Amino acid sequence: MPIIPDRDRDDLKRDFRKELKDDVTIRLFSQGSSLLAIPGRECKYCPQTQELMEELTSLSPKLHLEVYDFYNQVEEREQYGVERIPAIVMGKNGDSRLKFYGIPMGYEFATIVEDIKTLSRGVSPLSMDTRKRLRKVNQEVHIQVFVTPN
Amino acid sequence: MARLAHAFAIENPLIKSDVIEVQEFPALAQTYAVRGVPKTVMGTVSRLAGVAPQVQFVGAVPEPEFLARVLEAGVKETSEET
Repeated sequence: MPIIPDRDRDDLKRDFRKELKDDVTIRLFSQGSSLLAIPGRECKYCPQTQELMEELTSLSPKLHLEVYDFYNQVEEREQYGVERIPAIVMGKNGDSRLKFYGIPMGYEFATIVEDIKTLSRGVSPLSMDTRKRLRKVNQEVHIQVFVTPN
Repeated sequence: MARLAHAFAIENPLIKSDVIEVQEFPALAQTYAVRGVPKTVMGTVSRLAGVAPQVQFVGAVPEPEFLARVLEAGVKETSEET
């Protein structure tokens, strides 16, 4: 049973065909399947998040998914600055400045779709004024937005 | 706020942004005293001190206000003594 309903898949496919320009890679940090449950390492939503990202990236040949094991691929985890799982990592030219921690459902699924479009088309949804004034930033800023599933 | 935060990070290489499902990470939500959503926390990144939250607010704000908050956190006047 797919997570993304058939009608939405068709809409997304059409949307991606029309709007995507450059390829986009989604990096998912998850947990390898283990026969032993290790206390403190439970990741309730890891399998479902992986399934969702597999479904999403299958909707366009321009979308690619790389799956990493948070506990066994420590080098990649540090390279991409991943602190917990499940983590969806995206960025311009392979960097990792966009992260989504948790399973993106409902409104937050739409956030991931918007991110993909913005990265692929290279066209910012922000106003010209915002983009101009944003150039004044001269310190590294870390923004965290806490959300609930809906 | 999630979309704006990500759009800002795509636009400016000095900005990184995380969107976090609070229910999956209750300890983190507790650290940042999340009692309502969306809650936005911003801070400069210091290699020694980690993230020092400078700006935080609950609720959705329009793009110009979000920008004002980002500038508050991320613009340091060179003459300023802190």
